[in-house]
Amino acid sequence: MMLLKLVQFTYPNSVYHFVSVDSLSLTNPKFNFNSIHFTFKVRARESSSPRDGGSNDAGDFECNICFELAEDPIVTLCGHLFCWPCLYKWLHIHSHSHECPVCKALIQEEKLIPLYGRGKTQTDPRSKPIPDLEIPHRPAGQRPATAPAPDTNNFLNFGFGGFAPMASARFGNFAVSSGIGGLFPSLLDMNVHGFHNPLYGPRHAYGPRFSSRFHGGHHGHEIFHSRRGHQENNLLKTFLLMFAIFLVLVMIL
Amino acid sequence: MTASSVSSRKVLSKIATNRLQKELTEWQINPPSGFTHKVTDNLQRWVIEVNGAQGTIYANEKYQLQVDFPENYPMEAPQVIFLPPAPLHPHIYSNGHICLDILYDSWSPAMTVGSICISILSMLSSSTVKERPEDNDRYVKNCRNGRSPKETRWWFHDDKV
Repeated sequence: MMLLKLVQFTYPNSVYHFVSVDSLSLTNPKFNFNSIHFTFKVRARESSSPRDGGSNDAGDFECNICFELAEDPIVTLCGHLFCWPCLYKWLHIHSHSHECPVCKALIQEEKLIPLYGRGKTQTDPRSKPIPDLEIPHRPAGQRPATAPAPDTNNFLNFGFGGFAPMASARFGNFAVSSGIGGLFPSLLDMNVHGFHNPLYGPRHAYGPRFSSRFHGGHHGHEIFHSRRGHQENNLLKTFLLMFAIFLVLVMIL
Repeated sequence: MTASSVSSRKVLSKIATNRLQKELTEWQINPPSGFTHKVTDNLQRWVIEVNGAQGTIYANEKYQLQVDFPENYPMEAPQVIFLPPAPLHPHIYSNGHICLDILYDSWSPAMTVGSICISILSMLSSSTVKERPEDNDRYVKNCRNGRSPKETRWWFHDDKV
């Protein structure tokens, strides 16, 4: 069973046509491959064709040295885009100074920012030999700390002071009886937020880190959640759920 | 013959060829005003006609620039000279060599033939006197064996013209 559609859509000043293959036909890899290939060719032609008035969209992503679509793209603090091999050769072989070729701002190599698009992430860049001898690997991105956890769990501080960090450590040390009141809102809360964002789960490359920071403040509905916040919340809620079950069991017995 | 004949005539690298083709395409679509590229099939040597800008002492005069590209352009600057007769200018020698920093020490691979042309036209336009550099005769004598201006140790001192 195979469903074909001719898709047409306009991009700023060009029209793309390509065959879209419905998910059913994914069982036929050969056909799927052809359709992807076709789409790619259309795009490649668009980007290399002469443009009206010398302005073009692909030019925004061209290396300022070789004028090709940037390979191993890297951007300076002053915002100028280059291929890493081009910039490396300029800075280390041909130039007398460490200046940006475009604006002459001083370039510090440790402050260069690599651009990681979606395109080439499948291949390990180290496996790709760069023909011009000893060009080192492109500098890695600097990853700032993730956003701090949101404050959704502060009600714990509210109800019973010292009990807050239970999620990480003091599970066994329970002052149980007063806890029930506080638990059920959290279970409700789980339904609202907890499994709210399943798509982000697998993409998250760094495992959840558990900080034991719970700030004082009101328990309110958080509009903004970081991805990590979700993971922490989920974990906390799982703990709470287990704890509630445990409580119910204790009561029954 | 001019000094350019000695410039390295190694064939252009692949990167250089690709980039020059792009520059040529862009030039054909949107040439810098006041310049005409004389069409040849030689990508490595461009001859460009310069029209003196209106309202300057070079108005209605035409000159020719010869641009030779090295093998590893744009990492290295092209060699740019005026074909005789070179305009009378305090920074242009009678053998066509141009004392302009971006052609030598201040070259950057982000520059293009178009941007060089505009710089040269700007240099011409800001001149108020038609005269040769002070050391013209001495310099030209030194260059007699067809030395390239890129081998000169230039001393850039005048930022007014």
